[in-house]
Amino acid sequence: MNYFKEIFASRELLVNLTLREVKGKYKRTVFGQLWSLANPLAAMLIYTFVFSFIFRLEPAPGDPSGIDVFAVWLLCGLLPWLFFANVANNGSRSLVSNAPLIQKVYFSRVVLPISTAGATGFNWLFEMVVLLIALTIVGAFVLPWLPLMILTMVLLAMFAAGVGLLLSIMNVYFRDTEHLLTIVLQIWLYLTPIIYPISLIEVQSDQVGGLFGTPVTILDLYNVNPMVHFVQVFREILYDGRLPDGGALLTCTIWAFVSLAVGLWVFRINEKHLAEAL
Amino acid sequence: MTNPAVTIETVGKRFRLYRERNQTLKSAIMRGRRSVHEDFWALRDVTLQVPEGSTFGLIGSNGSGKSTLLKCLAKIYWPDEGKITHHGRMAALLEVGSGFHPELSGRENIYLNGSILGMSRKEIDSKYEEIVDFSGVEKFIDQPVKNYSSGMYVRLGFSIAISVQPDILIVDEVLAVGDAEFQQKCLLKFRDLRETGKTVILVSHSMQAVKTMCDQVAWLSKGALMAVGDTDSTVKAYTDSLDLKRD
Repeated sequence: MNYFKEIFASRELLVNLTLREVKGKYKRTVFGQLWSLANPLAAMLIYTFVFSFIFRLEPAPGDPSGIDVFAVWLLCGLLPWLFFANVANNGSRSLVSNAPLIQKVYFSRVVLPISTAGATGFNWLFEMVVLLIALTIVGAFVLPWLPLMILTMVLLAMFAAGVGLLLSIMNVYFRDTEHLLTIVLQIWLYLTPIIYPISLIEVQSDQVGGLFGTPVTILDLYNVNPMVHFVQVFREILYDGRLPDGGALLTCTIWAFVSLAVGLWVFRINEKHLAEAL
Repeated sequence: MTNPAVTIETVGKRFRLYRERNQTLKSAIMRGRRSVHEDFWALRDVTLQVPEGSTFGLIGSNGSGKSTLLKCLAKIYWPDEGKITHHGRMAALLEVGSGFHPELSGRENIYLNGSILGMSRKEIDSKYEEIVDFSGVEKFIDQPVKNYSSGMYVRLGFSIAISVQPDILIVDEVLAVGDAEFQQKCLLKFRDLRETGKTVILVSHSMQAVKTMCDQVAWLSKGALMAVGDTDSTVKAYTDSLDLKRD
């Protein structure tokens, strides 16, 4: 409990460090904040071209919204994923890149990875607003789903922050972490139904049946991935325009709290020795 | 003797000297355990009290553990043995201007650095003028700090740190910054602090500075406390030991 007090006491520092990241990043660029949209936009164009135009992938139209636009369907899963991947990436570097600060000044160290998550979250918020506008243009009525969307965003932010905390500590002791992470995230992206619908996995899973004579199917293993559930909930809320599956939302909630708790716990154990270990 | 502002009880700090540092997964897996290391005690069994309102100096040769002790005081290192207790707000000036963001302006950096040092926005607002004034960079306050000269950089950093108004200030050799005029300003500021009953703990290699500023001095050698006491006798004991070695 004391730990939360400490974090709460450094909230101003948290805000200032977050602003430092946000403001510093696009300083002296002509397009400024617009650059944060460039990455997801480029990814959207590439995936839409390859998977929709070349491979003719056709995810089911939104039910009941009736929207049938691949690019928008893709973004509903891609934007949350990119947020998560960026928090993991930036979070893993947050302690190492601030080593001089950690070795010279005392402050609550936990604000470093959390402020990176905050800064990434700020950009994500910006992206989601653009997505909402796109959804409205293609005919979705998003307004009633805003509270649920924000709730899910908070849950994903908690999950990502926990992973970021864990990775930041790992990277201090094993500098390989950030390089390994690039590969892991790439595999992870394809293990999550972002650029293809989960129905394709379901079909495969049904064909193969239980693995190695056990009742465990491919789909069961696939569902271990927490991002599967986050992407599902975001799509149901935004693209389909309906209440998300209760089970999926519950899974997201559990993952969010477990990840944050483990992340904070590991961080707490290790933070006292950071100045020497760096 | 007045109440101690800082109490250091049998403090020890151990570092691990790695013969082979495994910071990569590969080496960790290959060897099957984390690493091979020896213990090195940079500080051992240091017990002392810093009286409230005094200016306290730490002296000793290079590698004697002064900076390690200072970092333990500043909560950057955690002692492996013993404990440190203190009364009142503490601020450490181990390096000025750490945490400046080069692309942000001086003004933005004042707020950023101030909050790193534990000041609230309101506090910084109220001291803003004073900080800018003391640093003497008001003309360039809206320029990114990467364009500052090193002197301006350090002056701004020092001005922010000093404005925290701690009850206990910890200083590591940072007095050797800026031009003569700014150093004079700093010395006056330290005198102010002392007159208002604040405690200052400083490390210095300049015996001249120690003699003019400190009420009490502790002498460290190879991680052990050799002597604590009034400035003149302790400094003399230290310089005598150096002379002895030379003879």
